[in-house]
Amino acid sequence: MSEIISKEDLLRLVDQWIGQGKRTAGPTRIKSDVVLYAPIRSSSDVQLDGFIRPRNSIKEFIFPRHEKLYGYKVEGRKIQLFDAEPAVGEQLIIAARPCDAAAFPILDHVFNWDYKDEFYNRRRQATTIVTLACKEYDRNCFCTSVGLGPAAESGSDAMLLDLGDGSYEVRCLTEKGKALFAGKTGTSDKTGTVPPGPKKIFTKESIDAFFAGGYDNPEWQQMTLRCLGCGACAYTCPTCHCFDIVDEGNAAGGARVKNWDACQFCMFTAHASGHNPRTNQGQRQRQRIYHKFEIYPTKFGEILCTGCGNCTRNCPVELGVRPVLETIETLSVAGGTKA
Amino acid sequence: MIMENIYKPELMEIIQIQQHTSDVKSMRVKFADPERAKNFSFKVGQFGIFSAFGHGESTFNICSSSDWKDFIEFCFRRTGRVTEAFWQLEEGDTIGFRGPYGNAYPMKEWEGKDLMFIGGGIAMPPIRCAIWYALEHREKYGDITIIYGARTVGDLVFRDELAEWAKRPKTRVIQTVDPGGETPDWKGEIGFVPTVVEKAGLTPKNAAALVIGPPIMIKFTLPILAKMGLTDKDIYTSLENRMKCGVGKCGRCNAGPVYICKEGPVFTLEQVKTLPNDY
Repeated sequence: MSEIISKEDLLRLVDQWIGQGKRTAGPTRIKSDVVLYAPIRSSSDVQLDGFIRPRNSIKEFIFPRHEKLYGYKVEGRKIQLFDAEPAVGEQLIIAARPCDAAAFPILDHVFNWDYKDEFYNRRRQATTIVTLACKEYDRNCFCTSVGLGPAAESGSDAMLLDLGDGSYEVRCLTEKGKALFAGKTGTSDKTGTVPPGPKKIFTKESIDAFFAGGYDNPEWQQMTLRCLGCGACAYTCPTCHCFDIVDEGNAAGGARVKNWDACQFCMFTAHASGHNPRTNQGQRQRQRIYHKFEIYPTKFGEILCTGCGNCTRNCPVELGVRPVLETIETLSVAGGTKA
Repeated sequence: MIMENIYKPELMEIIQIQQHTSDVKSMRVKFADPERAKNFSFKVGQFGIFSAFGHGESTFNICSSSDWKDFIEFCFRRTGRVTEAFWQLEEGDTIGFRGPYGNAYPMKEWEGKDLMFIGGGIAMPPIRCAIWYALEHREKYGDITIIYGARTVGDLVFRDELAEWAKRPKTRVIQTVDPGGETPDWKGEIGFVPTVVEKAGLTPKNAAALVIGPPIMIKFTLPILAKMGLTDKDIYTSLENRMKCGVGKCGRCNAGPVYICKEGPVFTLEQVKTLPNDY
């Protein structure tokens, strides 16, 4: 037996959440051809189908692109600091893609090794994520290559599976998920089915073999010569988490803030002396791929990628993980991992 | 309960400023909170992230000895937005501090060894803390040789202390400036650091060397140290990649899988050789 909910009841439930003052976000159509995760005002804003996945990710609801860390006030020679606690009322994300939700168990590591980032942790604890299993995928999707899939449950509090008859199977996966749907579902002997997902396009072994072939492999330059360094890949990635810390304000007062940053920007690693360890785009692309597929797995045991394909979908020159790793796979298989 | 905030600095008052060159100053700062001043401790080699409010944060080595209580010191070159703001501050002004972060020089492991401190330019401050520490525990270490070079006489920092160190027992200080950088009354060496190290005729036994400076200086100094019999395990440096958070999150300072802010900044040459060239 499975738990089910009709589409009408689901949308009514979303309106109830909003009515209870819960901050609710989900896929919304911003323009005729653009769907983004955004805060929703009513269930009519929510897009449940008709697109592959939103162009952004849900990370901004837990790790905002701009966040105040504390305020400061200058009074003569004295400084006063003011705590800035994130306003974290209960928050719901509806119809997220499984490849978005899967990012958080991965990101928990970096935000909590040794020093704990409570800005991240508090939002994470206050957030309930309801995912909608994928029925379709496009050529940029590769979740199966990183060990996930169209109904991967990692990071989801509850998962909805379209039964194709105007109703959804509801899989409550955590206490938060159970609390959300308690008393709201019916039972049925129907269960959701999901497609097998996109074909695997690379293996970790091929990547490891390529990396073992040398850090300064000239193929990096070849593969990534066309990168514009715009950072769209990192900004729309569910797992990219690099940030900058800067002051906003003036000599009288203001705030220190944490802003998203991207390893594709030329100033990202520039030293004050003028020296820059990564002077060209090939080196910066190598860093992004290394970080996701070598450094993060070495440090935290997990690939820093959920296979959502957003980096390629949003790339003006069709780079991103999928094309780069397809090339690496080809080179590896051909034994072309010359150093 | 107030949320723990790893990004929030502690306030420190500037109690002394020393100008070393036309563009280098050091600051002595103490915690505004007397309790914190009493409890604070660090190890030489560690760094802090220092704030000029309204301008931002920068990473500097704590260049005072860990034996000195009640205050810490850091040294900076006026080169960007934050250091320009520091340059304008006066004694009595308040700055922010986060830290101490990172690993430290292995002062314990170095006991019983001859020590060589080799630095170039603005790299003297991160060596200075170790020099003072070694001199204050003089009996624990063998011969100490300090070789310090700068482009010109006017670019040498902590010059008064160089003279002070030279007076200590079993301690030799060699100062050098690049050819053309000397003044008529210059009594030190003239030549690049690697050449001066070679000329010094050192015959260290059981030695450790701390080498910090521009990459080009390090590159040409290493083979000379190897000739003296130092292995890659005996040579140490402090890597100074750009940092923002200092606590292993912002994704900026890594060289391959090594986060310099957490696993560094102090590495042996043996360790550096395993890192990708990303520093």
